[in-house]
Amino acid sequence: MNQKELKKRLTELEDKLIGIEEPRENCIYLNCESQNSFAVNKFLFEELRLRFVIATGIDAEDCFEVIYHYANDRAGSMVNLKAFIRNRKKPAIDSIATFLPAAEWIEREIHDILGIDFNNHPDMRRLILADDWPEGVYPLRKDMDSKIAQGWTCKTSIRPSKKSPARRTIPMKKPILAVGPFHPLQEEMEFFQLATDGEIVTDIDMRISYNHRGIEKISESLQFDQVPFLVSRICGICSASHPLAYVQAVEELAGIEPPVRALYVRTIINELERIHSHVLWFGLAGHFIGYDTVFMWAWKYRETVLDLLEEITGNRNNYGNVTVGGCREDIPDELKPRIIKDINFVEKKTNMLIKAVDDDPILHARLKGVGVLSYEDAVKFAVTGPTARASGIDIDVRRDESYAAYDQLDWDVITRPEGDVFAKVVVRLLEVVESCKIIKQAVQKIPDGPVAMKVKQIPPGEAIGRVEAPRGETFHYVRSDGGNRPVRHKVRAPSYVNVPSFKASCIGEHIADVTITLAAVDPCYSCTERLAVVDGENKVMHDYESLLRMSREKMDRISKDLGVEKLKLEDL
Amino acid sequence: MMERIPQYLFWILIFPGFVFTVLIGLVASWVVRKVSALVQWRVGPRLYQPFVDILKLLGKETLVPRGSQKALFFAAPLIAMTAVLLLSTMLWRIAFDRIDFIGDIIVAIYLMVLPSLALILGSSASASPHAAVGTSREMKLVLAYELPLALALVVIVIKNGGQLNLAQIAQNNVVFSISGLLAFLVALLCVQAKLGFVPFDIAEAETELAGGVLIEYSGALLAIWKLAQAMMLVALPLFLVLAFLGGFTVLWAGIAKYVLILVLLILIKNTNPRMRIDQAMKFFWVYCGFALILAVVLAGLGNYYGIGWL
Amino acid sequence: MSWKIWALKKSPWVFHVNTGACNNCDIEIVALLTPKFDVERFGIKLVGSPRHADALLVTGGVTAQAAPRLREVYRQMPKPCVVFCIGACACDKGIFANSYHMVGPVDKIIREIDPNAIIAYVPGCPPKPEAIISGVVKALSAL
Repeated sequence: MNQKELKKRLTELEDKLIGIEEPRENCIYLNCESQNSFAVNKFLFEELRLRFVIATGIDAEDCFEVIYHYANDRAGSMVNLKAFIRNRKKPAIDSIATFLPAAEWIEREIHDILGIDFNNHPDMRRLILADDWPEGVYPLRKDMDSKIAQGWTCKTSIRPSKKSPARRTIPMKKPILAVGPFHPLQEEMEFFQLATDGEIVTDIDMRISYNHRGIEKISESLQFDQVPFLVSRICGICSASHPLAYVQAVEELAGIEPPVRALYVRTIINELERIHSHVLWFGLAGHFIGYDTVFMWAWKYRETVLDLLEEITGNRNNYGNVTVGGCREDIPDELKPRIIKDINFVEKKTNMLIKAVDDDPILHARLKGVGVLSYEDAVKFAVTGPTARASGIDIDVRRDESYAAYDQLDWDVITRPEGDVFAKVVVRLLEVVESCKIIKQAVQKIPDGPVAMKVKQIPPGEAIGRVEAPRGETFHYVRSDGGNRPVRHKVRAPSYVNVPSFKASCIGEHIADVTITLAAVDPCYSCTERLAVVDGENKVMHDYESLLRMSREKMDRISKDLGVEKLKLEDL
Repeated sequence: MMERIPQYLFWILIFPGFVFTVLIGLVASWVVRKVSALVQWRVGPRLYQPFVDILKLLGKETLVPRGSQKALFFAAPLIAMTAVLLLSTMLWRIAFDRIDFIGDIIVAIYLMVLPSLALILGSSASASPHAAVGTSREMKLVLAYELPLALALVVIVIKNGGQLNLAQIAQNNVVFSISGLLAFLVALLCVQAKLGFVPFDIAEAETELAGGVLIEYSGALLAIWKLAQAMMLVALPLFLVLAFLGGFTVLWAGIAKYVLILVLLILIKNTNPRMRIDQAMKFFWVYCGFALILAVVLAGLGNYYGIGWL
Repeated sequence: MSWKIWALKKSPWVFHVNTGACNNCDIEIVALLTPKFDVERFGIKLVGSPRHADALLVTGGVTAQAAPRLREVYRQMPKPCVVFCIGACACDKGIFANSYHMVGPVDKIIREIDPNAIIAYVPGCPPKPEAIISGVVKALSAL
């Protein structure tokens, strides 16, 4: 649907809204009262088929706002629905997770950080705050500022207690297998409980929060030009995408256009990052299915890209190269031949890997038809990036709402219809080849000129920046009151919507396939948990003894209920 | 009888038993790691690395998980080690001195199963859900490869005219016939699975099961497991050499045969992704089973009509 | 120097724990295993269970949710063992020092349960793999 049609359809909503604003082209804000938000959301998602991006909860002093962000990918535009909750004492709003599973996590998150209740939410457990975070303390409410300024932090007990409000959950009659929080499968912590029937997974539950660092709150205490260094530490692998998305939002807010050369530099660094991220993932995927040779080879090629990045920005990761109004470091002309040479090498090796994957019958047997995420599920969970493109959804922010220099270069968006792990492998590898194409063109076309400009004042207002990170769309929302710090900075990383899709892709799979299915999304938990805190009490995750005890207690209970003698593990 | 006990003890504990096998086994495990590293463009560990690993584990604290069956938890690695020790002593004696008895091939089969059974016992005694999944996979895997291995040995016995005596079998080079070659290849894959190498490292899959069956073992007990595994790395290829490749008639040829089998195992290990347990069972029962039935028929025909190459 | 310590220095098996890091230190740790750096040369091996480990590589400034788990993992490690704080966050919480959800740094959490723990620090954001190797070597030779 193009922008004109969209605006026409939006007029149907008039009686439910209290205003429509369009501060910039391709960015529409709809305002409504909280009681109408459910109907309007349903209309936007089901009638207009917009893609749900995320919701932002804001404490606006006199009321609470929940902003639902939708993307219209065909026109590359955003539609934002602002719902005002006037009752500050008992803030509540209708949940939209009932028809939109993609909103389930963010509603739990907003409940954690702002204390807004979502009526009829299917599963209102704690999401991002720790298990022993005190009840009734909401870190993103403005009245928390003074407490945090006085050095208030959550205390954790040395001996964790057993009851936890965040605790599950799966009505488990079957043995549980825990994955995490420290598990060789993942570099980061998260906790999956797999209910299994023999080797088949029947249910999955996830607990995050281990990586929640409160970045959105820290961001409010930093100046506009300091924030990029914070957001590049949201995730070490996306450390070029997050700052770029933030910077684009601020530049839109300030109404400035950075110099063209800076746009090319940003393109090159972002594509280098995509290559190193995809190759890294490919190696890890090989490792997960016991193919260590592939892991070593892929990481060896990846070092070439890291050396280039180090040469350009001074660091292997965390480049800190993007600033509001341009770039910190230029790409010197004498480096160009080396970039071309190294990228040619990487391209050659990637083509070799593609051929190896294509020729290997064992890989076909192991990965095809495994962990399928269907097109319908992909839409419902609003996944992005390679995860979406491998399920046949043709979206890519680089093309849909072009930024940096992508619209001046020739490249393709790769999609595959199958939705299985194999499709995800293929999409990522082919994307590496496309990235090589982009970099080579950008290096040849890069114009002369400065790479940075002076920025004086960030006016009040709100703006959105979107960037296609290696894992999908990275979304940053910035609101300014005219001061020198953002009053609200919302980040949504791609894994935040990709990870919950495990619910659709893992159930019914073999345990041996679950790990590769989980990995296939290329989950990045650092990204997912920029924001949350903690509550309640907790359980020890990696402690197999307690896990076993739990599961035995459960078995006891069940066998008592059923009046059957329980099967002992030792009898096996 | 009594006066021979010191000699038996020497055989079992020093040469060719414990000390000798452990030495060879640790060197062999170094070869495995080093060759894997070279295939992966790395430098790899130093020669003494496996020895230091064992030494270090002996010096560490041994933690016993709460809720475990203590006796079984301690006994399992010892059972495994004893079985491999007996097996390797027996095989070395056959290889060097042809000291044998009728039916020793059957004893060898039983001794080869024991370490896997001990692994199953030990991990289920350790009270960990990951180990429990590892246990169930190990059990399925044992079921999967024992049948083809037994069938492969049936081929050997037929080819040797009903001979159940390993020293006699070692006189013949059965691998130079169609049925013998088929049986050898299947037996090689069974050994791959017994050693827990990729693609059959399903029970220990570290990314799926955090180390699987051995997850709760630490310190000296883990060292015993590692020693038992290193000794398996000697005993199982040695068994293949004796049963299929004509044994140690000449010393250097015997060593060359052993190294050849080791290299084959390492190559398979490094060029394949891990199989799933159901795929592995299907592989062993359907494909290997079919190949072996064919081999048994061919061997029978060859024996009946006196055609050696069948 | 006793033989125990000697063997430990020649064969440190490490277990890696992320307690709220941004992934950078973590991928640099994994990069240590790969052909360019290949720490297996020194006998260093990444293992999948804390019970097999001699050294704990901790990245991240310890979030409230991760702290109890960090303690639990440390308890499961057979002694003697060494704790390495990899990266600025693990050393002193880094850029996240003012976060409401950070209860670290790592040494504080570990010392709560074992005042005599051996702790080494490798700063950097992220530390380069060379720096991590050098840190591990220095810490081990100081044992």
